[in-house]
Amino acid sequence: MSAPLLTVDNLRVTYRVGRRRVAAVKGVSFSVARGQCLGIVGESGSGKSSLARAILALEPAATGQVIFAGEDVLKMSRAARQVFRRRAQMVFQDPLGSLNPRLKIGAALAEVLRVHGLARNRREAAAQTAAWLATVGLDAEYATRFPHELSGGQRQRVNLARALCVGAEFLVADEPVSALDVSVQAQILNLLKTLQTERSITWVLIGHDLAVMRHMADELVVMQAGDVMERGQAADILASPQHPYTRELVAAVPDVDRALQRRA
Amino acid sequence: MTATDSSTGVKDAAEIVLAVSGLGVGYYPRAGERWEVVAEVNLNLRAGRTVALVGESGCGKSITAAALGGLLPRNMQRDRGELRWAAGVDARPGRGLAYVFQDPGECLNPVFTIGNQIREVLPPEDFRDASARLTSLLRTVGFTEPERVLASYPHQLSGGMQQRAMLAMALAGRPRVLVADEPTTALDVTVQAKILQLLGQLQRQENLAILLITHNLGVVAEMADEVHVMYAGHIVESGPVALLRNPQHPYVQGLLQALPRLHGEAGRLVGIPGTVPPLGRRPTGCGFHPRCALAREICRTQEPPWRESQGRGVACWARGDRGWA
Repeated sequence: MSAPLLTVDNLRVTYRVGRRRVAAVKGVSFSVARGQCLGIVGESGSGKSSLARAILALEPAATGQVIFAGEDVLKMSRAARQVFRRRAQMVFQDPLGSLNPRLKIGAALAEVLRVHGLARNRREAAAQTAAWLATVGLDAEYATRFPHELSGGQRQRVNLARALCVGAEFLVADEPVSALDVSVQAQILNLLKTLQTERSITWVLIGHDLAVMRHMADELVVMQAGDVMERGQAADILASPQHPYTRELVAAVPDVDRALQRRA
Repeated sequence: MTATDSSTGVKDAAEIVLAVSGLGVGYYPRAGERWEVVAEVNLNLRAGRTVALVGESGCGKSITAAALGGLLPRNMQRDRGELRWAAGVDARPGRGLAYVFQDPGECLNPVFTIGNQIREVLPPEDFRDASARLTSLLRTVGFTEPERVLASYPHQLSGGMQQRAMLAMALAGRPRVLVADEPTTALDVTVQAKILQLLGQLQRQENLAILLITHNLGVVAEMADEVHVMYAGHIVESGPVALLRNPQHPYVQGLLQALPRLHGEAGRLVGIPGTVPPLGRRPTGCGFHPRCALAREICRTQEPPWRESQGRGVACWARGDRGWA
């Protein structure tokens, strides 16, 4: 296995609540090898989204270490941070809320390319935009559409294109498919898997659905109330969960096969 | 099109509390124009049984649920089919049929205590002993300290507790039918498991007929006795819950293949290409044909007939030529 692209060591995220400070993430450590998918699973309030934001240096109150490709993300200079922002990108749950409703898809992507200095003129931007749309499985004509004209799955494809077009090699996806219907969810999960295998994208998948994790994650971190309950190979954890909380979680998932078997 | 009563072949002695036949809902964007939202829905809701209506967003399942209790938005109308209540059932809203919805936080009024809100919906016969009735309702839905909960405001309760409070409110009118529209979708899985367990328990206690609206096939497999799968406003397959083992309709097969599982092969999922058609753009013929691998010419032009066999029904041209069961 190659050296880890991301190592998180004793990461803490605290928020001020009135006069107290409350820890949302209480000293979490893990690493992600290049080209792998790490799943972080937990229920609401487990700290998984705070953790996601902290990894991408979007959480100023984070302490500890987040080493990305040998550099501590939390202590980066401005210039280094800018490069990091290109290499590491976030994909959010609500694909509509994370797109500007007044910009056509093509314009939205071109803006990102321009901000990062990756396209010198309109023609270059258009060409790159078309190529990225193709990568995520959309026709070039979608560049002329507004976000509201797209379905949820298509919007999430656009969000992936936006994350990738700046040359991202690392993605943090926070519940990327929980707003989507099952049939579309499978399309997006497959696309993410393809990006991982064909473009060596490394990613952290944040979610609550253990069945999704089983299909996607190589390694799994199970969180509850800011702490890691269990960590290991996803297949092992799901086959024989060790921690009582993980067991409760696995048992609580409504599963077609298990339910039909039990009721037969 | 023949009557789509999936339960004809099912041997079930339980009393039919509410029979829905040929239900259709139209959307009237402007005078003289009708768009079909839901068509030909047939359901038998039986005492003590759960019927699940499953489908993806936009397939018409929530509209069907809303149509049963007269909760349709102003520009929609239940203008086809009929609802037949069993003799002696008080069909008034809240008495015959009550609802629980997806987001309890949205349904509860933030400025009134739980006690005040449930008191508001108590039927006249409970006015005299209102406090005792409130306490017993809260105990029924699993609260061990009913007095504290009655005095609480919604924001002081967790999502799971809010949903319990909503259930207590739904049960206040002693309904015979409970329509649960995505009752656990907004909840965490461990909380979801507890609420589903509670629903089952309440059903046995009160002999409730439950219509469960959900997109989650796992929840269906856990809870339902009978399943109806909807697509683009039509029921495409129905039968006892075991039909999920060997579905016949390509859409239902596709849904199950697209579903991430806890068991079996953990490889790539198989998505269904395309998306659910938006309202008013239902394809001609079979509504699913643009996304269907088995689509032939007839699927594009003619609506498939409803075929029944051994208590199951399916609407698909590719099935039933030589008996599909």
